Amino acid sequence: MAIRILLVDDHPVVRQGLKTLLEGRDGWEVIGEAADGAEAVEKARDLNPDVMVLDVTMPRMNGLEACRLLRTQAPQLEILFVTQHDSPQMMREALDAGARGYVVKSNAARDLLAAVEAVSQHRVFTALNGRDAAGVR
Amino acid sequence: MKLRILLADDHEIVRRGLRSLLEKHEGWEVCGEASDGRDAIEKALQLKPDVVIVDIGMPNLNGLDTTRQLLQHDPQFKVIVLTITDSDQVIREALDAGARGFVLKSDAARDLVTAVEALQNKRMFFTPRVNDLVLAGFLEKGHSVTRNEPPKLPTLTAREREITQLLAEGNSSKEVACLLNLSTKTVETHRSNIMRKLSFHSIRDLVVYAIKNNLIQIEIPPPPPKSPAGSTAV
Repeated sequence: MAIRILLVDDHPVVRQGLKTLLEGRDGWEVIGEAADGAEAVEKARDLNPDVMVLDVTMPRMNGLEACRLLRTQAPQLEILFVTQHDSPQMMREALDAGARGYVVKSNAARDLLAAVEAVSQHRVFTALNGRDAAGVR
Repeated sequence: MKLRILLADDHEIVRRGLRSLLEKHEGWEVCGEASDGRDAIEKALQLKPDVVIVDIGMPNLNGLDTTRQLLQHDPQFKVIVLTITDSDQVIREALDAGARGFVLKSDAARDLVTAVEALQNKRMFFTPRVNDLVLAGFLEKGHSVTRNEPPKLPTLTAREREITQLLAEGNSSKEVACLLNLSTKTVETHRSNIMRKLSFHSIRDLVVYAIKNNLIQIEIPPPPPKSPAGSTAV
């Protein structure tokens, strides 16, 4: 299944790592990148991705703020947080902000592909350290 | 002959990004990857890379202590430190540890290749902010950059610094003992000595100390959203 993905992280090296992982899947395409929340909102409007892979801590506008904005501006977009914050509280905030998925960067290589697949099918996917990855409908 | 590079970062995603960046350069090869400082030292001794790129904020053994220990094993190792912060203290500690390169992670896509090229040509590379610090008098005050000198911290030994980091990361004494191949009693003795030397009374004091002295790095989460006026939290 073709999935169009927008990557958002303030570190180009992280975006590059995510991109190499995602583009290994047939039909998945990284259609754009953004380095902060404000740019993410602009590019989501211009490029209309299926899934946004979004960091939390970024300059100018953080990922949670961007997610809340996008919930009203682009309700069809599914958002997956990929973040350093290995915290149930932060995960709850992310889901309350409208995200469908939340994975921790230290396990991104293990969880990212399954997470993108799940959220693209409108399923919740959350995985913190020390807990098994779960896709929950 | 290819330039061989060892990557040490606890995030596989970051290592993938770095590898992708570096291997575009003809004649360079990532010969190995490590996910923490101890793994980095083991692999460096085994693989003998030309350049070692080390993240400062790694668990078990942070990047600065990894750099010190690598250079104690073999002063010929060339180390580039990658960091999310360029505070004066971090810069000083990286220079004191003997790093030959210092690159901000946010600028790695722009600077890392230049840094590796510099080390390949037996030069050093530091981000512009480090150069500013040097010109502003870091060296003028007579602070000499010597390798392998311990940082200016209250008299902790290298082992005590390792244990401080592991405890601050949330490991129990038993877990620390397992990681370092020591007895629990030995770790408890070190722990008591550390607490006494630093005049600490709780693990919280230790965690704050570890953060302030870059033994561990943390990312500050964004503040919670402000509630609209008149709303009540449920």
